[in-house]
Amino acid sequence: MSAEARITLTVNGREISRTAGAHLTLLRWLRDVAGVTDPKYGCGEGICGSCTVLVDGQPVSACLVLAAQVDGATVTTAAGLLEADGSLGPLQQAFHEKHAAQCGFCTPGMLMAAAAALADGRRRSRQEIREELHGNLCRCTGYAPIVDAIEMAQELRWPQAGR
Amino acid sequence: MMFTRPFGFELAGHWAEACDLLRRHGEGAKVIAGGQSLMPLVNLGLVQPDVVIDISRAAGGRHVSLAEGFLTVGALITHANLAADSLAAGTQPLLGAAAGKIGNARVRGRGTLGGSLAHGDPAAELPLAMVALGAAYEITDGHRSREVKAEEFHLGYLTTALAPDELVVAARVPRLGPGWGWSFQEVSRRDGDFALAAAAALVRIAGGVIVESRVAVGGVSDRPVRLADVEISLTGATVSQIGGRLGPIQGIRPVSDTSASAGYRARLCRVLVARALAEASSRSEEAA
Repeated sequence: MSAEARITLTVNGREISRTAGAHLTLLRWLRDVAGVTDPKYGCGEGICGSCTVLVDGQPVSACLVLAAQVDGATVTTAAGLLEADGSLGPLQQAFHEKHAAQCGFCTPGMLMAAAAALADGRRRSRQEIREELHGNLCRCTGYAPIVDAIEMAQELRWPQAGR
Repeated sequence: MMFTRPFGFELAGHWAEACDLLRRHGEGAKVIAGGQSLMPLVNLGLVQPDVVIDISRAAGGRHVSLAEGFLTVGALITHANLAADSLAAGTQPLLGAAAGKIGNARVRGRGTLGGSLAHGDPAAELPLAMVALGAAYEITDGHRSREVKAEEFHLGYLTTALAPDELVVAARVPRLGPGWGWSFQEVSRRDGDFALAAAAALVRIAGGVIVESRVAVGGVSDRPVRLADVEISLTGATVSQIGGRLGPIQGIRPVSDTSASAGYRARLCRVLVARALAEASSRSEEAA
């Protein structure tokens, strides 16, 4: 049995290898060990969605997965949505333009939930977008501009899709 | 609580190894697969394991297969994969419908069938579906396997018939004959939250009347409850007679908490049973 674990993850394209407590959740490992602080700790129960990251492309609550369980995986956080030249990606650009962040705490999770939902390239209705965000809470209750932003991101990224 | 007491980590490559590790580490060991039930308890400080044994990368246990009249579902299948499985949808659609109602996309993407069954939350969807379907669970201690009926496995709040060194390996669901309709109903305060009450119904209609039914409810007792009295009272009823034959639901023990009163849960339970029976009946009539 190991109390410490050497874990290697590819986070937003960068390989990070660290030895740390084997009991650390992926969220704590990212924030406190690797210094990747965009995913946030909200509820600890998988309800609020503020810690949502993609693990090998799938959305997970980083607070409910042990880092040791996903050793070797590819992790994408909100910062990983930047374009290669460092400019804002379509989702980030749309969130910015539609004022889809108020206090901003839920935003990294909202971005990743949206990224996971839009990954298949299928154009979604407003109702479908709302359903995709069921697992992400915004306590400023600014949901309407968040849905606006995701609609806009669909346009930016796939202007021809579904027409 | 974000800062949990440190614990050790063991990676089990297969079931028998996990059972050996459980015996070696004793009471302080907890098994993790998807972690969607265990980790909230750890984060909130309600469970403080000494060591966590990870079976999420164990070989096998993710299959859905049909043989000898049983649909067998491996314990490590995720809720999302169960909800999307075409064999399960074609033979036992109640299962996928129940799995699709669990939590949110993140929970369904990592949470596993075996984890939900072994956790034994009385409001959980899959134990309810399994009790309604008359399923049995295959359990192993790494050396010997045994089978326990779903109704006898769930003993009470977060309490099951699993011995400390046993794991759920698979669920075996008896295949229904032709003509059955099904329904899964639940109400929660927020989408993805714990069900205040839930109902699963299976109905077979022939000659305009109910000839067979299976009804079970969740969230209204310390375990999922099969409603044998309701099933008996429905035999011979037409669809329009269902409401009249359905009295207050007996055999449940709902509790009051911050989400709902016991009285509300009891009334909601009856409403959901009626809705489930109506939908299952109409599906049975379509199938005929």
